[in-house]
Amino acid sequence: MARKMLVDGEAPVADGGQYDYDLFVIGAGSGGVRGSRTAASFGAKVAICELPFHPISSDWQGGHGGTCVIRGCVPKKILVYGASFRGEFEDSKNFGWEINGDINFNWKTLLEHKTKEIVRLNGVYQRIITNAGVTMIEGAGSLVDAHTVEVSQPNGSKQRYTAKHILIATGSRAQRVNIPGKELAITSDEALSLEELPKRAVILGGGYIAVEFASIWRGMGAEVDLFYRKELPLRGFDDEMRAVVAGNLEGRGIKLHPGTNLTELSKTADGIKVVTDKGEELIADVVLFATGRKPNSERLNLQAAGVEVDQIGAIKVDDYSRTSAPSVWAVGDVTNRINLTPVALMEATCFSKTVFGGQQVKPDYRDVPCAVFSIPPLSVVGLSEQQAREEAKGDILVFTSSFNPMKNSISKRQEKTVMKLVVDAETDRVLGASMCGPDAAEIMQGIAVALKCGATKATFDSTVGIHPSAAEEFVTMRTVTRRVGPVSKPKTSL
Amino acid sequence: MAAHATLPFSCSSTLQTLSRTLSPRGALQLRRGFLRLPSHAALPRHPRPCCRRHVSASAAASPNGASADGKYDYDLFTIGAGSGGVRASRFASTLHGARVAICEMPFATIASDEHGGLGGTCVLRGCVPKKLLVYGSKYSHEFEESRGFGWTYETEPKHDWSTLIANKNTELQRLVGIYKNILNNAEVTLIEGRGKIVDPHTVSVNGKLYTAKNILIGVGGRPSMPDIPGIELAIDSDAALDLPSKPEKIAIVGGGYIALEFAGIFNGLKSEVHVFIRQKKVLRGFDEEVRDFVADQMALRGITFHSEQSPQAVTKSNDGLLSLKTNKETIGGFSHVMFATGRRPNTKNLGLEDVGVQMDKNGAIVVDEYSRTSVESIWAVGDVTNRVNLTPVALMEGGAFVRTAFGNEPTKPDYRAIPSAVFSQPPIGQVGLTEEQAVEEYGDVDVFIANFRPLKATLSGLPDRVLMKIIVCATTNKVVGAHMCGDDAPEIIQGIAIAVKAGLTKQDFDATIGIHPTSAEEFVTMRNATRKIRKKSTDQVHNAILKRNFTWHTGWHTWKIYFLRIICFELDLSLLRVFYMFY
Repeated sequence: MARKMLVDGEAPVADGGQYDYDLFVIGAGSGGVRGSRTAASFGAKVAICELPFHPISSDWQGGHGGTCVIRGCVPKKILVYGASFRGEFEDSKNFGWEINGDINFNWKTLLEHKTKEIVRLNGVYQRIITNAGVTMIEGAGSLVDAHTVEVSQPNGSKQRYTAKHILIATGSRAQRVNIPGKELAITSDEALSLEELPKRAVILGGGYIAVEFASIWRGMGAEVDLFYRKELPLRGFDDEMRAVVAGNLEGRGIKLHPGTNLTELSKTADGIKVVTDKGEELIADVVLFATGRKPNSERLNLQAAGVEVDQIGAIKVDDYSRTSAPSVWAVGDVTNRINLTPVALMEATCFSKTVFGGQQVKPDYRDVPCAVFSIPPLSVVGLSEQQAREEAKGDILVFTSSFNPMKNSISKRQEKTVMKLVVDAETDRVLGASMCGPDAAEIMQGIAVALKCGATKATFDSTVGIHPSAAEEFVTMRTVTRRVGPVSKPKTSL
Repeated sequence: MAAHATLPFSCSSTLQTLSRTLSPRGALQLRRGFLRLPSHAALPRHPRPCCRRHVSASAAASPNGASADGKYDYDLFTIGAGSGGVRASRFASTLHGARVAICEMPFATIASDEHGGLGGTCVLRGCVPKKLLVYGSKYSHEFEESRGFGWTYETEPKHDWSTLIANKNTELQRLVGIYKNILNNAEVTLIEGRGKIVDPHTVSVNGKLYTAKNILIGVGGRPSMPDIPGIELAIDSDAALDLPSKPEKIAIVGGGYIALEFAGIFNGLKSEVHVFIRQKKVLRGFDEEVRDFVADQMALRGITFHSEQSPQAVTKSNDGLLSLKTNKETIGGFSHVMFATGRRPNTKNLGLEDVGVQMDKNGAIVVDEYSRTSVESIWAVGDVTNRVNLTPVALMEGGAFVRTAFGNEPTKPDYRAIPSAVFSQPPIGQVGLTEEQAVEEYGDVDVFIANFRPLKATLSGLPDRVLMKIIVCATTNKVVGAHMCGDDAPEIIQGIAIAVKAGLTKQDFDATIGIHPTSAEEFVTMRNATRKIRKKSTDQVHNAILKRNFTWHTGWHTWKIYFLRIICFELDLSLLRVFYMFY
């Protein structure tokens, strides 16, 4: 802030001639763009390198905007929107709408519009960078030493740049499991840009990506079989909510195969033959591996600068995102902390403030809200019931509400909305909130503001409801569902 | 502000100005025009909880309180089983063991002197049926949106009004049943019929007299229409929710939320909709920018607005179609003319005048902060008191009344930061002060605005946009208002309302991580103020200092001060702080 400038009188400007740049950023995704832009706003001379644009990432392809814009949040949400219409058509009947004749879904139209939007956003990101006065360089960046980055082109040409600080924000990439026939499967990158919409889809994985694609393809009319190792999908989320999501997926026609792995894929005339570890066999048009993501750290030549990585290849950083090399920093998915766009943004802003803004700021990982865009979506903030019990010293009060949303009273859709608040019995502080139902992600954002600031259950209760809405349930949960004591050991059966 | 401590002595007059203008004066203020709380002079009485806690529900023979053994049939008799009445009756009985009876008129979709129904306006003629019709009518927009997402239709979707209305009415019947069960389970005696107050402790229903220690009036309000020629040809919102057929072309008179909601409903169902408003803009009392925005968005969806037009007459032509004559023009060809021109408390023929229950000029029952009327044993909650006419507020008032009267815990309903929604298409959600109210209240206000095309619209190609506003008191940094118009606004504002109610600051919002990609995340990512309004303090402070200094110095000094002022403004610094450093 301006006040600081007056007090310390320091204005960070390009370091006098020793380096080409004050900051060189590798990777123009959410974290990299935010980091370069904010650093430039503090007066730093900044360059950023990124691979040429392509919807499917590889060693030579990426694009400004990164995973979020090109291969993640944005295209995924667009497909979720597209897929959600099927449920709307079904629901509209009892509201008096008559659709005689066929409703058709044209995947190519959606794909075309999606690509157009992503190309537009890619351009927006490039403009943001340029307008911030950041130098854009196309190519693959890697480290030469702790102050030098080499940017190479597919044709072999190379260019070196020196910088006082280097920020690595190369993100991550979808990973495949190692089973026979794995090359027949696709990852989420390809799934967002398939030529043809599958009629029969098999998905391996129980995380949010698996669940979201299951909803997307089902909504577009495919038969979907979802395989995962645990009893319930979405490990790490509140167990009760996981069960709700599983129920909803089934209710919308997705076949769940809990506790099941895929062992082999092979090509047949009819499609891909999938064999499970339970001996089942089925034929699919598409097999999606949604089995985790791996940090993009391999081709960065990190050891040249002494930057350490952990066993999965994530760059190790301290609380301020500094790596083991003092002039090299890293933010976002490549550090595998909390892999969410808004978290990468926070990390990058804190980095700029720390390095160029003269304020030591750590990212704050408490109460980070997030959403799973299944249909209907799940959104959570704070602790799950299990986490709360593990961390608690005293009792935990659990408030739950499971209700038929008003729209379903007419549409007759059999799908409950479930909400949950986890409250510290002693302090009355709301420790966690979860919701599964329409608009959950939109509803949870405001709840997250309240939670972040330590709102008590009494504050929730004193807030007047907005009637009639689903969200008003969060301020009208008067009766405690159960009171539970702390536990030392987490349950592992799920 | 730290400026206080660093002020030079000679600036004491400025300090006073500063303290006056910057000291946080109270918290959120009530929405102007919404509240007509009685003055304390008119109702000087303090609440005296009249009953002690009485938990045993089975002890039916002994009424609540020490002095009233067997004197009354009931501890509480409630007239009107709408939101407020049911809530209060249920809580009085289940939480405090009071013996409670409630009376309500037989069910009909359209309210009259003889008809009402369990659930009241909210369930039968308001929130619920309205929202169901909003859901039903919204599909046409969704069909349009879906095209951009690759969906095509062999034939255009058609809407059948009678299916919607029949399913809506089935749902209402179900809800009436639920309300009946709620009351039964709470052991509240339900009496069907019109209640009338005979004396401060007696209610008559169908000629039968019931005595009660306390009487609660929760009879709500009803649409009111102006007395103009041909008004009998027009319909009100009760009728509009239950029409036998869908209007082909409808005139809606009124610019309030009911008018806009019905405009959206009928427009969505492909009626031709004309809205006539007396003012320049719709939704008086809402944030000015929101008022403009919602009207623009509705117009883009095909609604025609006729502003600054007062209705003068409704006429029927030979072909059976209706015309509306206003001060400016006459438009014909309407199948329906609807008036959404306000609501009136249902206080006629209740016997209020005879027992001395005071009413205001609109017929609203005057109550004190605890919902007690001018008669000690008679209380009133909800729309009949015309405070903030919303279901959740009636619930709050009902709950507070029970605590006061039966829980030995005098409780005032808290009217600060009440969120509300307009289910127009697109809908509005809001909590706290409008920009205009905040400027009036605090003087120094920072306004953060996001006006964007949501992700869904970029794909659908429709001109839908979203407007969000955060109003921040610049001195305390507290968020004093939040407004949104766009998809899911009511759902989004609910959580924001908790934060506003908790008195959170803009920094608290900024510290919250966004949920990506949502619309709601904009509320936590508005980094730069769109405008900083420094109505009083800055100008006053600057001017005061400048004036003082102009008299002290001349020439170069004057320019130096002027220059400093500009720097301070640019850098957002406290002028006083800089002054202190320089002098």
